[in-house]
Amino acid sequence: MRNSNEIIDDIANREYEFGFTTDIEMEMAPVGLNEETIRFISAKKEEPQWMLEWRLKGFQAFKKMQFPKWQHFEMPELDLQKLSYYAAPKKKKQLNSLDEVDPELLATFEKLGIPINEQKALAGVAVDVVFDSVSVATTFKEKLHELGIIFCSFGEAVRTHPDLVKKYLGTVVPHSDNIFAALNAAVFSDGSFVYIPKGVRCPMELSTYFRINAENTGQFERTLIIADDDSYVSYLEGCTAPKRDENQLHAAVVELVAMERAEIKYSTVQNWYPGDKDGNGGIYNFVTKRGICKGNSSKISWTQVETGSAITWKYPSVILQGDDAEGEFYSVAVTRNKQIADTGTKIYHLGRNTRSRIISKGISAGHSDNTYRGLVQVGPRAANARNFTQCDSLLIGDRCGAHTFPYIESRNSTATVEHEATTSKIGEDQIFYLNQRGIETEKAVALIVNGYAQEVLNQLPMEFAVEARKLLSITLEGSVG
Amino acid sequence: MTSDKSFYEFISNGVPGPEQKVDADNAILPARKLAFGRFKELGLPTVKTEEWRYTNIQRYLKDAFTLAQEEQGTVTAEQLKAAGIPQLDSYRAVLVNGRLQADLSTLPTGGKITVSKVSDAAGNPQLQAWFDKHPHLQSQPFAALNAALFADGLFIEAGVNASLDKPLHIIHVYTASANAFIQPRHLIVLHKSATLEVIESAVGINDNAIAFVNGVTEVVLEENAELWHYNIQSTVKNSRHIYHTSTTQKADSRYHHFNFTLPSAELTRNNLSVALTGSNTETNLHGLYLATGTQHVDNHTFVDHLVPNCNSNELYKGVLLDDANGVFTGKIHVHQDAQKTNAFQQNNNLLMSEKANINSQPQLEIYADDVKCSHGFTVGRFSEESLFYLRSRGIGEEAAKSLLVNAFAFDITDQVHIPALQDFLAEKIRQYVAGAINN
Repeated sequence: MRNSNEIIDDIANREYEFGFTTDIEMEMAPVGLNEETIRFISAKKEEPQWMLEWRLKGFQAFKKMQFPKWQHFEMPELDLQKLSYYAAPKKKKQLNSLDEVDPELLATFEKLGIPINEQKALAGVAVDVVFDSVSVATTFKEKLHELGIIFCSFGEAVRTHPDLVKKYLGTVVPHSDNIFAALNAAVFSDGSFVYIPKGVRCPMELSTYFRINAENTGQFERTLIIADDDSYVSYLEGCTAPKRDENQLHAAVVELVAMERAEIKYSTVQNWYPGDKDGNGGIYNFVTKRGICKGNSSKISWTQVETGSAITWKYPSVILQGDDAEGEFYSVAVTRNKQIADTGTKIYHLGRNTRSRIISKGISAGHSDNTYRGLVQVGPRAANARNFTQCDSLLIGDRCGAHTFPYIESRNSTATVEHEATTSKIGEDQIFYLNQRGIETEKAVALIVNGYAQEVLNQLPMEFAVEARKLLSITLEGSVG
Repeated sequence: MTSDKSFYEFISNGVPGPEQKVDADNAILPARKLAFGRFKELGLPTVKTEEWRYTNIQRYLKDAFTLAQEEQGTVTAEQLKAAGIPQLDSYRAVLVNGRLQADLSTLPTGGKITVSKVSDAAGNPQLQAWFDKHPHLQSQPFAALNAALFADGLFIEAGVNASLDKPLHIIHVYTASANAFIQPRHLIVLHKSATLEVIESAVGINDNAIAFVNGVTEVVLEENAELWHYNIQSTVKNSRHIYHTSTTQKADSRYHHFNFTLPSAELTRNNLSVALTGSNTETNLHGLYLATGTQHVDNHTFVDHLVPNCNSNELYKGVLLDDANGVFTGKIHVHQDAQKTNAFQQNNNLLMSEKANINSQPQLEIYADDVKCSHGFTVGRFSEESLFYLRSRGIGEEAAKSLLVNAFAFDITDQVHIPALQDFLAEKIRQYVAGAINN
């Protein structure tokens, strides 16, 4: 059996397994950010005038904003003028089946262990492949079409369903919400659009695989999901990115709208390039995700497994506006080497009898810093609101940090809010117990970490749970506290 | 030194430095000047300041105040009695507007424990060594303002192995006839293996003027020293209090701090911080706040684990009525070297009216792996089941509620080691609940 230091070193030194680049010809926007860039993007995408105006509004808001200072890490120097804001694969004809997709692209996904064909057969997942911002393949579209479900790229939605986009765009995350959301509003490249009509239960998990590929290209996705009355949808988002030496910014926006009795389940597995062991390179993941439970008895659930990125900085939120609405947040965040995670959730209880549940599991190793930051706010109208929050942190190695910064604001005396947090390392007694039963240390740790994160992993749809478990064991197996 | 209108303005811009002070003591003057410079640099907080986001201090400083160093009021025995704790057998130090009144006090004599005015002890090497040195005070504007311009206060020094046969009761009397900004300051130093019990309480005797108290207490516990530190906050309604208590604990020392905020001052802000600089220490921080009317009670605590093998325990409980506002921010910071730390923190709140509200930020900042740390927070109202259980056994609603609040507060009051003080608090809680239910 190897000793614990060796194992930790081994893990700390492990190279990013999914680091490779795909050579596909790109069409780039000129480097820099100004009104011209925005007009260029809008023109490239053949957008209507109202869309361009909305982008410009976002840009105006962006210009007035400063980078925040409250975060628990040192903000890297970001020169937004050095980025190129548009990159699309040149080959852009309409595709009807997977066979028509660029074979090299398909091979990329194969390397990631998520072959589209296999998934198609496995669980009926409709995959909207986003490869550097523009959708190039959409499967199962016809089946969804029969049910009246709209699942397409954002750009397509702007063309084919302008009314829906106009009605909901920016209603959850306004163009002036924060500096990164404003930047996204101005330059967003593409993303996904989902509309589930009244009374429809989406028969399959909707899924989009994001990949950042072109060098020096920030990725600005925008996703909008609307679940109309009595509908249900489960949406999966998974990310892996090739190895890069230069930091890349990812400032996506996700908006969810749940109407009367509707339910949206949004799951993320994020494994972007975290940088090497000295903290060079890696993705900055500054994402704004927010959902609103507009209708009564509606429900929004966020589940995230965050293992990648140099800096993960996001707070998927839920606004519980309707009465009896429900919000959930399940998170596993793993950091190692010099990774930083400052993540958590915000839940706003506005309606009566609203309930929310937050389960956050942080695991930090190496020299990393892992912060849970969350807000639970109960408004004066939110009679009988109920919140339960649990944040646990696991420390592996004595050079990492685990922090918990919850904010709790209760304005209604009938509300019940509970928060608990613990920090500890893996118990030597637990390891000893498993060793005693013939399980070697490396496997014992994997078992304990998996058990620790179980509550969150259980929330993931089956296909994702498999990938998430794999990611966890890759990152942390054999780490002895 | 009177501000014409907004004291906030006056203190931000116009306040003269410590060299203007009539009785500026030479031995402390350099420290005062240093602190004044720090205050100028820090400036007063706004709601944008993270530490003050739930307490709008500008609101409480917009009136006119006099910096009350000169004012000497007279205090009658009757008034003093109101500040006392029945049945409490103790030594007594009476301070009027921050200044010790020897004729009203009964101080311990002849032993190894000395109680004197800070102004009289200015040259004392302990005072010179520790005055305004606590690391956590360096970033606090109100503590800096206090250090620069404080009126006076107590310097308590307990020698090696010293102890007292009964507690020392410090009674603050605020007599201001016009709105006054009063700044008392204490330094308590316990040398090796000394033990002491200190009770601090305050009384205001003028309802017509607003007393704004900006107090600081620094505590130093040398090896194996033990201090029981009780702070009872119950003065007149229109007073406002900001209080900093900063403690340094060396190896094997034990510190037990209690904060009881009773229905009283419209603003109470407590900044309690403990720096653990020696191993094997024990720290117990207890707080109970009962707030009514438009009272605003803000408790900030900070436990700084700098070295290995220390234990800290923190329990703050609050019962809020009417439009009362509660704030709790507790931080546990475990540094990289502080392995084998056990640190626990709990904040529970009971809201008894529609409009009462609470903001809480229990924080953990941890850089060591072999530690056990946790924090918990709850807010809720009476459990219907518990009430029903009691009522079904023939206990009236009022009695049942009283029982439940007492049970809620019991975790704190049970830790109090002085029976007379325990009875006193039980009576206060009883009155509070009776008032709450009759409304």
